[in-house]
Amino acid sequence: MTDAELVARTRAGDADAFGALVARYYDACWRFAYHMLGERADAEDVVQDSFLRAYLAIRRYDERDQFRGWLFRILTNQCRNFITARGRRTRRFVQDDVAIQSAATPTIGMQLGVEDAVLARAMAQLDPLQREALLLKYAEGLEYTEMSKMTGVGESALKMRVKRGGERLRAILASFDV
Amino acid sequence: MSERDGVLPFPSADDDALVAARLASLYGNTRPVERAQIERCARAVLLEASQQSPRSWLAGVRYSRWMWSVAAAAVLIVVTLRGRPTTLLEPQGAVTRVDDGQAIRFDLRLPARAKAVAIVGDFNGWDERKTPMLKRSADGTWSARVALLPGRHVYAFVVDGDRWLVDPLAPQVPDSGYGPTNALVVEGATR
Repeated sequence: MTDAELVARTRAGDADAFGALVARYYDACWRFAYHMLGERADAEDVVQDSFLRAYLAIRRYDERDQFRGWLFRILTNQCRNFITARGRRTRRFVQDDVAIQSAATPTIGMQLGVEDAVLARAMAQLDPLQREALLLKYAEGLEYTEMSKMTGVGESALKMRVKRGGERLRAILASFDV
Repeated sequence: MSERDGVLPFPSADDDALVAARLASLYGNTRPVERAQIERCARAVLLEASQQSPRSWLAGVRYSRWMWSVAAAAVLIVVTLRGRPTTLLEPQGAVTRVDDGQAIRFDLRLPARAKAVAIVGDFNGWDERKTPMLKRSADGTWSARVALLPGRHVYAFVVDGDRWLVDPLAPQVPDSGYGPTNALVVEGATR
């Protein structure tokens, strides 16, 4: 069943249809939120809140947009708001122990897993907006036009964030090597 | 030689490709969540939504009037203490290009009654007196038409002169100390 059909059924009150949308996109949303926020529990909360907002606003969804893009717009907003709220509580970014542990036990070899953990640590030290831009561009594989529509940031600014973020990421990785 | 040994003072296209590949790999190697977690999320969302929907509120009319009064007072206290509106009271905004793309119409639907609404942004110096919104209908929709040059614009809404709001479903700019704002990119050649 297509996204549009599931959305139509959800609007008609079919809870199973919404459950199918959650099942289809939860993993992608959680992965983005986890790499943005660095903690599993935070990611779970933010993703759940994003789906709740999407459900309550499902009548405002415009079928001309991709459902995934619309959902990710809500998710990126929620991640930003969460980071802002967390920043007020603590200025420290914490990568939880479970996260490091899981990154160090990859499916395709220990060597890569160690690099994954190092990269996750480096990502955690990036400015959140640079981290968001790098994840959307390289991990989600979005075009700059899609990113601009999703984030409300101009394409040139996004290109600059990706460029600066990449440079900063390389510098952090190099500093780990010292 | 490790990948980090290859870092050069002047990044090349290969460096960007390396970052892209490593990020994609990091993403791909993230352990998938368990099915139970997904089902838990769907159940929680539906439950929370049912508790917030007007239908479920009306289902409780069998309770006496004083219980409604207590509930209303409790909601008021919670809203006041939290300092921000609940999901039900959040605005619903829309942005539409009008006048052959020469202007943008901002719509804002407010579930709560408001006496005056204005839009503020980088285009009017963040002055709530410059661009008042007009109430279009009894359902609480307010509108304003603004001529905007191509480029990125940041904005927010001001209700009754002192309450700043953003549309939670439109792109938002992180709070830089003055409160969150929405952002809009007007397509076209920038001047």
